[in-house]
Amino acid sequence: MFRCTFQYAAKTSIARGVCMRRGLHNPANGWNTVIGLEIHAQIDSQTKLFSDSLTSFNAPVNSNISVVDAAFPGVQPTLNEKCVELAVRTAIALGSTINNRSTFDRKHYFYPDLPQGYQITQHHSMYQPVSQGGELELATHDGVPEPMQVRIEQIQLEQDTGKSIHDMRPDMTLLDLNRAGSALQAGQFVKKLQALLRCVGSSNANMEEGSLRCDVNVSVHKEGDPWGTRCELKNLNSVRFLSAAIEAEIQRQIKVLENGGIIEQETRGYDVEQGKTFRLRGKETARDYRYMPETDLPSLILTQEYIDALRNNMPELPDAKRERLMQQYNLSDHDAAVLLSESNAAEYFETVCQGRPPKLVVNWTTHELFGQLASKNIPFAANPVSTDQLGSVLDLIQSGSVTGMTAKNVLKVMIDEAGGRLASEIVEERRWKKLDDKLILKEMCLQLMDKNPDKVRTTSYDVFCSSDDSLSYPILQVASIRSGNTKLATWLIGQIMGKTRGLADPVTLNKMMEQALGVKLDDLNNVSHSKGKKSKKKGQ
Amino acid sequence: MNVNTVGNQFCRRLKPTLSARIRALSTIAELNKLRNTHQVDANDVLKECWGNIKDRGKAINAYISVEDKDYLQQQASEAQTRWFKGQAKSVVDGVPIAIKDNICTERMTTTCGSKMLEGFESPYDATVVKLLRDAGALIVAKCNLDQFGMGSHNVHSHFGHVKNPKNTDGHFHFSLESLPSHQRSAGGSSGGSAAAVAADLCFAALGSDTGGSVRLPASYCGIVGFKPSYGRISRRGLIAYANSLDTVGILAKDTHDAELIYDILSKYDKQDPTSMLPSMRERIEQEYADYYDKMDLDSLKGVRIGVPQEYRVKELDESIMEIWRMGIQKLQKLGATIVPISLPNTQYALPAYYILALAEASSNMARYDGMRYGHTAEKTTSDLLYADARTEGLGAEVKRRIMMGTFALSAGHYEDHFLPAQKIRRLVQTDFNNVFCMPNPLLDDAVADLSNASKVHAIITPGAISTAPLISKCIPEVDDPTQHTSVKSVDGFIDDVMTVPASLAGMPAITVPAGKSTVDGWPVGLQLLAQYGDEKTLLHVAKLFQS
Repeated sequence: MFRCTFQYAAKTSIARGVCMRRGLHNPANGWNTVIGLEIHAQIDSQTKLFSDSLTSFNAPVNSNISVVDAAFPGVQPTLNEKCVELAVRTAIALGSTINNRSTFDRKHYFYPDLPQGYQITQHHSMYQPVSQGGELELATHDGVPEPMQVRIEQIQLEQDTGKSIHDMRPDMTLLDLNRAGSALQAGQFVKKLQALLRCVGSSNANMEEGSLRCDVNVSVHKEGDPWGTRCELKNLNSVRFLSAAIEAEIQRQIKVLENGGIIEQETRGYDVEQGKTFRLRGKETARDYRYMPETDLPSLILTQEYIDALRNNMPELPDAKRERLMQQYNLSDHDAAVLLSESNAAEYFETVCQGRPPKLVVNWTTHELFGQLASKNIPFAANPVSTDQLGSVLDLIQSGSVTGMTAKNVLKVMIDEAGGRLASEIVEERRWKKLDDKLILKEMCLQLMDKNPDKVRTTSYDVFCSSDDSLSYPILQVASIRSGNTKLATWLIGQIMGKTRGLADPVTLNKMMEQALGVKLDDLNNVSHSKGKKSKKKGQ
Repeated sequence: MNVNTVGNQFCRRLKPTLSARIRALSTIAELNKLRNTHQVDANDVLKECWGNIKDRGKAINAYISVEDKDYLQQQASEAQTRWFKGQAKSVVDGVPIAIKDNICTERMTTTCGSKMLEGFESPYDATVVKLLRDAGALIVAKCNLDQFGMGSHNVHSHFGHVKNPKNTDGHFHFSLESLPSHQRSAGGSSGGSAAAVAADLCFAALGSDTGGSVRLPASYCGIVGFKPSYGRISRRGLIAYANSLDTVGILAKDTHDAELIYDILSKYDKQDPTSMLPSMRERIEQEYADYYDKMDLDSLKGVRIGVPQEYRVKELDESIMEIWRMGIQKLQKLGATIVPISLPNTQYALPAYYILALAEASSNMARYDGMRYGHTAEKTTSDLLYADARTEGLGAEVKRRIMMGTFALSAGHYEDHFLPAQKIRRLVQTDFNNVFCMPNPLLDDAVADLSNASKVHAIITPGAISTAPLISKCIPEVDDPTQHTSVKSVDGFIDDVMTVPASLAGMPAITVPAGKSTVDGWPVGLQLLAQYGDEKTLLHVAKLFQS
């Protein structure tokens, strides 16, 4: 299930969700596993769930901490409307049934990061959470072997207790239902949920940064038997470790049971080095949270008009977007997946795509831009190249005024200087315009041959006089070239490219080189290609 | 007394008797009459008040802290300038007012009467304090109280008991320390606020009322104690005892003064999520506009007042019964129709109240761990730092209530105690809704039944089951075994029996002086109740009753 939970004082809202539990039939030895996920996602909101902006306080003791956050006497939580909106959006995205009236309650325990001595939540079963039910579909393209529906139990708002009071941010949490599942499914589910939360704008959902936290319940039982005793896994800080920890815990439990032991209900951590789970604390320390209604907060009333307005204004969700991108732009599965893997990348792509060929745009976005950013360790979120800029690069390529190599360099400049200059300006300044003047290029080819008399040895039998006047020079190793020595041809082209700093238009240059050499380089390339292919096949 | 004549005389010729005159003109309303004709000086008002504080403040022990004199004089002098120019900010401009010490103020400390918050300086003013300051009021002092509002006799304060300043002969006796056995309770938990008003240490005071903490002391001290509907006045800055019941209350010399303060404080506050919404305020106004317009200002003609039989509890003193009877007769004389009514669930109200209030209290007290503010443990006996801070910082009564509240919320007891108590609360509310002709605006489907003769506009009950008891009879033996009082720690709970039903229902309630006991001569108050949101009818009846 998926719960939005509001956590801790003043500035915190958390959506909390309970999601899937799935049984995985293990045919090898008849063990079934049941996995439950409780996922807390910090709501991505500037203000905390229950506290007001700092400016509204007369004289804050510390300008960074509101009196509500620090649970000063006499202060009350006030519900952050934005957090509620994001929780409702999340509920809509997950097809969860939104309650028109929901209430809050207090969960009591003493802990240093809990200044009030209680957490405001919607956890208690007798009170209504923001929404109940819903599901998330995992398809094969999401990385699971079989499509599956993950049921969401509820979304609840609660205060985030996971952070120090200095950094209280709204949260969302997901819990999964009592169904069987595998470590892989759980991991893919979390990934898909992350994408959804980011798409809806409700959370950054980053496990490494702690804006998404997962507690996992794992139990195993023999086919046909009742469910086994569950252990809770905590402090998992990446999807990879989450899957690994679940897998390790399943194996541990099976091993214990097969050796005649019993599973004790306990909370366990995961040792990344050893790839094993370890005991954190047992059930005997289970607390009585003394739930009671939070009377400082009246019921949260969500009118149908409000819900409908949000429903009519939802962003396109990842699955729908994926489908549309593939159809509209004729993208491959892979390209669509890459675009959707970074938030806003698809929007970026679509903007650049306007009036430009999708194939070119997707290649430049997913390969060149992503590649260059990655090599400089710049996340896409901090991409300095605007859509106009990338578009200007592609326009120059299309008009043929720069070479592909130059275009890559222009993009590099754009990333380095992060100044927003368009491609034409950069090309102008650096004099990177493509050199495609036939006479100049031909002259360069001829000069090159002049300068390399050792390579352009004239031998009687090699001398070849063309009917073309311009080909009045003896040619180096033409026979060798003719017989497929593309190395030399490449070397010659490379020399010219070097001299022109890569600005020579390869097509024109090739043509001029052909004229200078008196051979068709294309033919040579074809020869070498077919040779290459052959050798490749042999290699296989 | 002809106020204007007195004022003129005072201004022109009777300067030496200034103090006596101000004391005589002790209500805010009368002060305003004189002020408007420039017959009284804000500086002199403060001087008189300051003199009283120095004179008797200590003996009564009504104040925990008193504002800096220079600051007050500066404020008074600014107010006087405004008075002189006819630009007074409000009716309380330059008027000394005291604040219960569980209401946060930036100036002075806010202790809640506890060691835990001894010396605590709030970084912000409570909304009610801000409203009063904006209206020009002089916040002169912070009033003593039962720790965190938990108590009915103001004997559970870290800063000592409050003594009732009234006496049988109508004069103040401020040397009663010599006669400890005669010291009477000022009531609680707003004992300091009530005693301060009764002893002229201020013109009015703010208290807080969770189950009667304003109304009971008002009854004992012979003044007016007004608890408006839950949500009418912002709770921001009122340190929570039991959130669902807490209200800021007003202690004043008479109903008119209480109304003047109420008009200043009854404002929507977005920082209090339980504040009554502007839409609700307007709805109440509009829905009863016709009825209010027809209200006869000089009589209670057409007003039906209910007398609930269930309030004749066995603990009720015969002398109080007598005052109640006389009060009913007075209402009749004013033109009201008296209607016997039944509120069948009243008997369950007191236990339900104590379960709910203490459960909430146990939760609200959790934040006092000495980590961010408040008392830090002097001794370390546990590896839990906050356990020591709480053991040392919280008083015996608070600890008892935390334990009882924790019990009520514990697994297994929640269903047996907390949930039934919540149901009773709903039944008590329903009882009231059944007898009032005004519909409860909180219920969407409620309709007015103004012409139904069996339904009432207001209800009259005693304000307390007795006159102010001796302080020595209010201290639980467990807290002071040397006195052998044989008083149990829960004995004081019964004193709230008249007041808690209105708290559970969130209705407005006011206790007004109604005479003196024929047995001991001490003041007795009667309580008037009206439908949720219907302060207008309540104050109308109370004003006429008091006239």
